[in-house]
Amino acid sequence: MSTNLDAPFPSPVLPPPVMERGALGWAHANLFSDRFNTTLTIVSVLILGTASWYGLRWLLMESDWTVIATLGGRLVIGPYNTESACPGQNCFWRPQAALMLVTMLLGMGWVVAGGGITKRIAIAVVTVVAAFSLLPYSLDKMGMDVRLLLLANIPALGLGWAIARYTPLGTARWLAILAVGAFGVTLVLLRGVEGVPGLQPVSVKHWGGLMLNLLLAVAGIALSFPIGVALALGRRGKLPVVKLLCVGFIEIFRGVPLITLLFMSQTLVPLAFPENFPVNSLMRAAIVITLFSAAYMAENVRGGLQALHRGQTEAAQSLGLQNWQTTLFITLPQAIRNVIPAIVGQFIALFKDTTLVFIIGMQDILTYSRAFIQGNPEFIPSAQELFIFLAIVFWIFTYTMSSVSRRIELNLGVGRR
Amino acid sequence: MNADMENTSEDIIVCNDVHKWFGSFHVIRGITTSVKQGEKIVILGPSGSGKSTFIRMINRLEEHQRGTIIVDGIELSADVRNIDTIRREVGMVFQSFNLFPHLSVMQNITLAPTKVRKWPKSRAEDIAMELLERVGIPEQAGKFPGELSGGQQQRVAIARALAMQPKVMLFDEPTSALDPEMINEVLDVMRELASSGMTMLIVSHEIGFAREVADRVFMIDEGVIVEEGTASEFFGNPKHERTQAFLSKILA
Repeated sequence: MSTNLDAPFPSPVLPPPVMERGALGWAHANLFSDRFNTTLTIVSVLILGTASWYGLRWLLMESDWTVIATLGGRLVIGPYNTESACPGQNCFWRPQAALMLVTMLLGMGWVVAGGGITKRIAIAVVTVVAAFSLLPYSLDKMGMDVRLLLLANIPALGLGWAIARYTPLGTARWLAILAVGAFGVTLVLLRGVEGVPGLQPVSVKHWGGLMLNLLLAVAGIALSFPIGVALALGRRGKLPVVKLLCVGFIEIFRGVPLITLLFMSQTLVPLAFPENFPVNSLMRAAIVITLFSAAYMAENVRGGLQALHRGQTEAAQSLGLQNWQTTLFITLPQAIRNVIPAIVGQFIALFKDTTLVFIIGMQDILTYSRAFIQGNPEFIPSAQELFIFLAIVFWIFTYTMSSVSRRIELNLGVGRR
Repeated sequence: MNADMENTSEDIIVCNDVHKWFGSFHVIRGITTSVKQGEKIVILGPSGSGKSTFIRMINRLEEHQRGTIIVDGIELSADVRNIDTIRREVGMVFQSFNLFPHLSVMQNITLAPTKVRKWPKSRAEDIAMELLERVGIPEQAGKFPGELSGGQQQRVAIARALAMQPKVMLFDEPTSALDPEMINEVLDVMRELASSGMTMLIVSHEIGFAREVADRVFMIDEGVIVEEGTASEFFGNPKHERTQAFLSKILA
C-alpha cells in the first residue's frame, strides 16, 4: 500500500467532476443513453404528440364552453335560489354573504400567516369571484345586485386584512375561533330562521352545487381530525373497554364502503330514531362522512404514534410529565407531523368523496351538472366541456390542499429535524 | 456483600431485596443496597447483566416486582402520586439522548419546569440559560436537537434533566453512543456536576472516569451486585473472580 506522503497538506479542494453539459448532453444522458431508453423516448413522443394534436384541435376548434357560462352561479349554489327552494323571494344574497365571510377570513389569514400561500389563495379567490361578476351572461340573467355583491368581496378581503393588521384579533387563535363562528353563521344564513323577514327557511334538500361539497368537506375535515386522534389514542390506550370500542368503530367504518354508509344513513338510521327527529339528510351525510374519514384518520395517526422511539416517552416520564402531558406535548405532535402526507391525502379523498352524496339525492356540483345536461338535451354535446371543467375545479381545490400541506411541512421542518 | 442496612437520614436511595422479571426471565435477582446523599456510584457489568434495568427501576421506568425501593423517603409503589413525586426529584440521562426533536433546545429544557413545576416561562428560561452556560453551549439555545452534534445533544440532555433541580441524577451509559472525540466534553460536564455535590448513579464503562469520580463502584452480574467497593479497592484489588474477568476484558 503506497501512501502519498509528498502530497501537499491540506489536500486541495476540488470542484465536483463535470458531467455532460448543455441541452445535447442532457438529452443524451436522460433520453438516449442506450437503445432501450431511446425506444422509450421515441414511443412516448409519438403518443404525447398524437394526444396533444387531437386534444389541441378539439380545444381550439371544436369545443364549446357556453355551457359553463350558462350554468354560471348554479354550479356554485345548485338549486338553492330556485323558485321551489325560495318561493317568492331572492335568496341569492345568503350564500354570497357566506362567501364574503370566507374572503374576510382569508384576508385575516393573509396577515396571520405573514403572506405566503395564504396570500396567494386569498388573491386568487377574490380575482375569480370578481371576474365572475363580469361574466356577460348566466342562466338567471345575473342582475346588477348579484354582480355588486360579488365585487363586494374585494372590500371584504381588505376589511379582513385590516382587522387582522390593526386590531388584537390578528392571531391564529382568534382566526380559528372566528372561522368556527363563520361556519355557524353560514349554516344559519343558508338554513334561514323561521319568522325573520329575508331569512325564510330553505330546506337542505335544495342546498347544492360546489357550496354543498365545500360545506361537507369543511365539516368533515374539521371534525374527523380530532375524532380520529381520539380514536387512535383510545386504541393505543390501556383501558380495555375503550380500546375495544375504538377498534370496533374503526374496523366497522373502514370495512364498509362510504356509499353504503351514506345509503344506510338515510334509510336505516331514521328507523332508530323517533319520527320528526330533527336530524336532516345533510347532517346525516355530514356525520357519516366525518365518521368514515375519522376511522382512516385514526389509523394514520396510530401509524405515526407507533413510529416514535420509546425513548421519547421515557424521557418525558423521567422528567415527571404525566401521561396526558406526554401525549399532548411529546408524542402526538411528533406523530401528527410525521403523517401529514397521509392525513392530507385523507382530506383530499374526503373532499372528492363528497360527490357521493348523489346516492341520497343531494345535488352536489357533479350531480347538479349531470341533472342539468339530462334536463336540457340541447347541451348534451357539451357534456365533455362541462365535466372537463368540473375536473379542473376539483383539481384546483385538491392541489391547493396539497400545496398548503407542503408549506406546513416546510414551516415545521418535517424531514429536516 | 450485604451493604450497610442501617437506614440513616443520609440514605437517599434504599433498595431491599429487589427482584424483577421480564416475562419468565429473572433479570434482577435480589439487590439490596443504599446510596447516601452526594455519593457518586459507578455501575459496571457485562451486557445483559441488569445494570441498566437496575437504575431504570429507581425512577420507575421499570417496575420491580418484589422487594422495596425507597427514594428520598418515599417508597416506589403502584401509587401514581409517589411515582410522580419521585420522578420530579430524580433526573435521568439516556444513552440515545432522547431529546424531543420537534422542540428547540430551549423548549426541551423549559418544558418540564413550566408544565410540571409550574414555573413562569421567564424563570424557566433564565434557569435554562444558566444551565446551558454550565454545560458550555449557551449559543445553541435556539437550535433544534437535529442540528447539534452528539456530544452537544447529550449536554443538552443533562441540562434538561438538571432543570428540574433533581436530588439524584441517573446516567444510563451516557457516552456509549458518542464518537470518541465527543466523549470527553460530556464527561467534563459530569465531572463538574460530581464536584458540585450531586448524588449520581452512573452506568458506564469509562474506567478512567470511574476511578476519578466514583465514591463506590458496583459490579452487577446476572442480576445481583457481585462486588462493591471504593474505586481504588475495586480497580486495584478486585476480589470476585467475575469482577477480575470483566476488568481484564475491558482493560485489555
